[in-house]
Amino acid sequence: MPVISTKDLTKEYQSRTFSKDKILALSNFSFDVKSGEIFGILGPNGAGKTTLIKILLGITFRTKGEVQIFGKEINDDSYKLKIGYLPENHRFPSYLTGEQALNFYGMLGGMNRIDVKKKSDEYLKIVDMEKWRKTKIKKYSKGMLQRLGLAQALMNDPELIFLDEPTDGVDPIGRKQIRDVLTHLKNNGKTIFLNSHLLSEVELICDRVAILNKGSLVTSGTVDELTSVSDTFRFTVSEVNDDLIQSLLNTYKAVIKSQKEFTFRAETGEDLNKLIDFLRQKNVLILGIEKEKNTLESMFINLIGSQN
Amino acid sequence: MRFLTLMFSTFREAIAKKIFLGFFIIATIIILFFLFLINVDSVEGMVNMMESSGEEGVRQLVTGFEVGMINLSYLLVITFCFIAVSSFIPSMLEKGNIDILLSKPVSRTNIILAKFLGGVLLIFLSLTYLIGGVWLILSAKSGFWNVPFLYSIPWLTLSFAIIYALIILIGVTSQSTILSIIVSMFLVFVICPVLYVRETVIFSLVTNSTIQFIINFFYYILPKPGDINQIITDIITGSPVKSYMPVYSSVLFMFAALSLSIFYFRRKDY
Ligand SMILES: Nc1ncnc2c1ncn2[C@@H]1O[C@H](COP(=O)(O)OP(=O)(O)OP(=O)(O)O)[C@@H](O)[C@H]1O
Ligand SMILES: [Mg+2]
Repeated sequence: MPVISTKDLTKEYQSRTFSKDKILALSNFSFDVKSGEIFGILGPNGAGKTTLIKILLGITFRTKGEVQIFGKEINDDSYKLKIGYLPENHRFPSYLTGEQALNFYGMLGGMNRIDVKKKSDEYLKIVDMEKWRKTKIKKYSKGMLQRLGLAQALMNDPELIFLDEPTDGVDPIGRKQIRDVLTHLKNNGKTIFLNSHLLSEVELICDRVAILNKGSLVTSGTVDELTSVSDTFRFTVSEVNDDLIQSLLNTYKAVIKSQKEFTFRAETGEDLNKLIDFLRQKNVLILGIEKEKNTLESMFINLIGSQN
Repeated sequence: MRFLTLMFSTFREAIAKKIFLGFFIIATIIILFFLFLINVDSVEGMVNMMESSGEEGVRQLVTGFEVGMINLSYLLVITFCFIAVSSFIPSMLEKGNIDILLSKPVSRTNIILAKFLGGVLLIFLSLTYLIGGVWLILSAKSGFWNVPFLYSIPWLTLSFAIIYALIILIGVTSQSTILSIIVSMFLVFVICPVLYVRETVIFSLVTNSTIQFIINFFYYILPKPGDINQIITDIITGSPVKSYMPVYSSVLFMFAALSLSIFYFRRKDY
């Protein structure tokens, strides 16, 4: 049973009060998140990622479509007992200290006083904020706020965690720490739903990703599925002459990078070997053959770039 | 438990607001004033009054102080407390703050009710401190324990709650502290006093019956803090209360404003 499941989720915002113009933030978005996976949503600014999370949490209301969380329609607030959420650009009441904020949100999350005390100690340590627990939040730096926000999202031991740009403003060491925390949570069977622009990071931790553009699902799959560009091979060879280049272009549909480098798309192993035979016949020295692999980033840029 | 947490969070927020501190400092000064400066025996005229009319004179003097106290407390509440609570809802609704709140297992109705009751309880306790303190000192010094004076605590709290409901409604719909303050102050200091004197002053100037009808209409639907103050004064001085209509209609206004706030808040996207 999926932990999150949506069907034809659509959200239209009113562009201004009393205006008839609508902004389509999500359109017919259907997807599932399985239990125990780290699921990443990628997409350019304004794609509708935050809107999606907000609908799932009842912060914003859908225009149409179905949402199920833990296998149930989200009609009441009870499912929120098992949920943690770190919003983008979150803001705690600035007159509280870090510790007081955790106490407050822990209690609101349905924890009792004793658990709140225990868990806030534990999570302040995990996010490396123990030193700052008695300091007023208004004196926190951006990264410190983000760490505290993460502690807030995790302290009630949620089954499902929503993180909107969790590493925003956090230094590289902190980002590594956060990734470790997330991996640890996953190993404990928690499900994590993540929005991020840092594709290299998503690549490192997400099991599956969905790409969202202008409110619609572009593609989804495991990181491996999305990044391995099928069956393209990169050849490095001794210098080839113009004649040869012509036949590579025409017969083999190769993409020439330079006189010493080209890529070739082989449907089968047979195709690949035919090209090798051809090259050897023409006395071309093959210096290397490598299967091409995209980074998530280049895949993303190609995909979104072609849509806009 | 979640409801109480939310309710009491308004206390911490109020304390963090320096303006509320102002209320307590002034309340304390007033209490100290009664403690040290008003000495019933040493007031010159007072002694004369006691000689001429005995216990009755003391009663009159004490009641006089108490009626004055009610008007003063009312003024303190609508200036300091209104300004302090006006920011509760707008600051809660700030982007990034409301998101976390709504992700918690607390219903939107309860969020509004907790903020409302939290504010009301806060003012109730503050008034208990101020009026209770003054009452203790005055009574101990004069020997005249006028219990009805204490009734002004719940009454003034009610007056506050009625306007606070409006502040919440404006806060939820406009998300603006300033607007909440301006509208509630305008209502309390301009509209309500004008409507309060509509029969004695306004209607002698405006004779057109349609306009009179409109003015009456607004009088009946809007809160009536002036009339409620008069009722409190009547209760303390032991005079008969003419009509409780101003109370009923103001309470109705309060429920209407709260219901509208909840209705709006439950449907709003954040
Ligand atoms: N409260 C709102 N009222 C009207 N329009 C909104 C509202 N919130 C978001 N939008 C619009 O909905 C679209 C999607 O916004 P959303 O915040 O979901 O994007 P996002 O993918 O999270 O972007 P980012 O990467 O910048 O965080 C945008 O066009 C935005 O202008
Ligand atoms: Mg976003």
